[in-house]
Amino acid sequence: MSDELNSLDPYVQWIASEARLSVAVDPAARTRLLDALRTEPVPHRRGRVLAWLLEPRPLALPPLAAAALAASAVGIGMLGGLAIHRDGRPSTAQPPSAGAAISQLPDSIAPRAIKFVLIAPQASHVSLVGDFNGWNASANPMKAQGAGMWTVFVPLQPGMHTYSFVIDGSHFVADPAAPIAPDDGYGHRSSVVLVGGSSL
Amino acid sequence: MMVPSLRRVVLSSLVLLSAAAAAAAAQDTTSRVRELDPLARLSEGARYQVELLLDSAKVSGLPTTPLESKALEGIAKRADGRRIVAEVRKVFRSLRDARAALGPSASTDELNAAAGALRMGITPAELAHLVKTRHEKQLTVPLVVLSDLITRGVPRDTASQTILSLWQRGAADDDFLGLWRGVERDIVSGTAPGVALLNRAREIPSRGPPPAAPPASSARPDRSENSNP
Repeated sequence: MSDELNSLDPYVQWIASEARLSVAVDPAARTRLLDALRTEPVPHRRGRVLAWLLEPRPLALPPLAAAALAASAVGIGMLGGLAIHRDGRPSTAQPPSAGAAISQLPDSIAPRAIKFVLIAPQASHVSLVGDFNGWNASANPMKAQGAGMWTVFVPLQPGMHTYSFVIDGSHFVADPAAPIAPDDGYGHRSSVVLVGGSSL
Repeated sequence: MMVPSLRRVVLSSLVLLSAAAAAAAAQDTTSRVRELDPLARLSEGARYQVELLLDSAKVSGLPTTPLESKALEGIAKRADGRRIVAEVRKVFRSLRDARAALGPSASTDELNAAAGALRMGITPAELAHLVKTRHEKQLTVPLVVLSDLITRGVPRDTASQTILSLWQRGAADDDFLGLWRGVERDIVSGTAPGVALLNRAREIPSRGPPPAAPPASSARPDRSENSNP
């Protein structure tokens, strides 16, 4: 080994001899180094994960998969939207108890349960429509009681209401047992129900 | 690694499921929109006209519910948009005339009943005559009965004069409802409508001038749980 060194350039020999010298280490240096390391913040693993997630990278999808993902997103969004009312209330929220609300109202304005009856033996389906249900034929279907009698109970506010029966979804019939409403202008007769209260 | 054919099947199923979910959601949304906004079933032009009339009613201090109800009634009865607008306009005008005849203190029911009577041919002057002798009694029942009688074929003048006469003699709501039931029965039995009314009206005793309005807590006939009133 020393023969090999002797054959080298003197400058290289000097470097080699300097490298062989033992290094004098300050005994307090280790302590200082460890203290300095302790003051450094511990690197978070989450930071690396976040960095990995945020790192832009090319993503290749076949058109069919892209369409499927887009359609899923639209479907989920629409279904989610259905769960929310226009005013932001979730649709699962229970409406206030009608019974409780009614019991707190003064008698003059509290709704009354009114029974509507129609005899229609040939009908296969009868419903009640009127200003109290927005003339919606699916709101108050009537129940067949046998012998062609159809009935339904509807809570109505005191006052005057206009209504009609709908037989088999298309025939509007006035109530033969109630006053006739003024001409409806649409070629069908309607009826009037007067529910007792402060306004009557 | 998924087999290509299996991947195709999975992707196709996903597409179909998503499309079905989106279609179902769209259908539900449509029915929800109709529920929340029933006038959405009108054509754009008809809806615009109806909303103008609703706004006019609001500005005039008239109730908008009868107008909205008339539009919904037309939709339910599958009338065309032009017809619906015409009927809503007719109701608006009759409500406005009724308000002018009855005054600002008239209730919504009175306005509605008076508007109906006006549409049946009763004049604002005849309404004003009823108002003069109302003594704070509600006009709703006599006006509803008046419109019914005219619809059943009682001559307009006979119906109007008879109701006014009974009103001035202090007839109560129950008298008018009893009159209506009796006339209806007589007409079904074959009596001429005008004759039926005059006969039945004679049976109602004079009750003198109508009493002052009863206090709000006074008992009224409770028609709850009744069959068709």
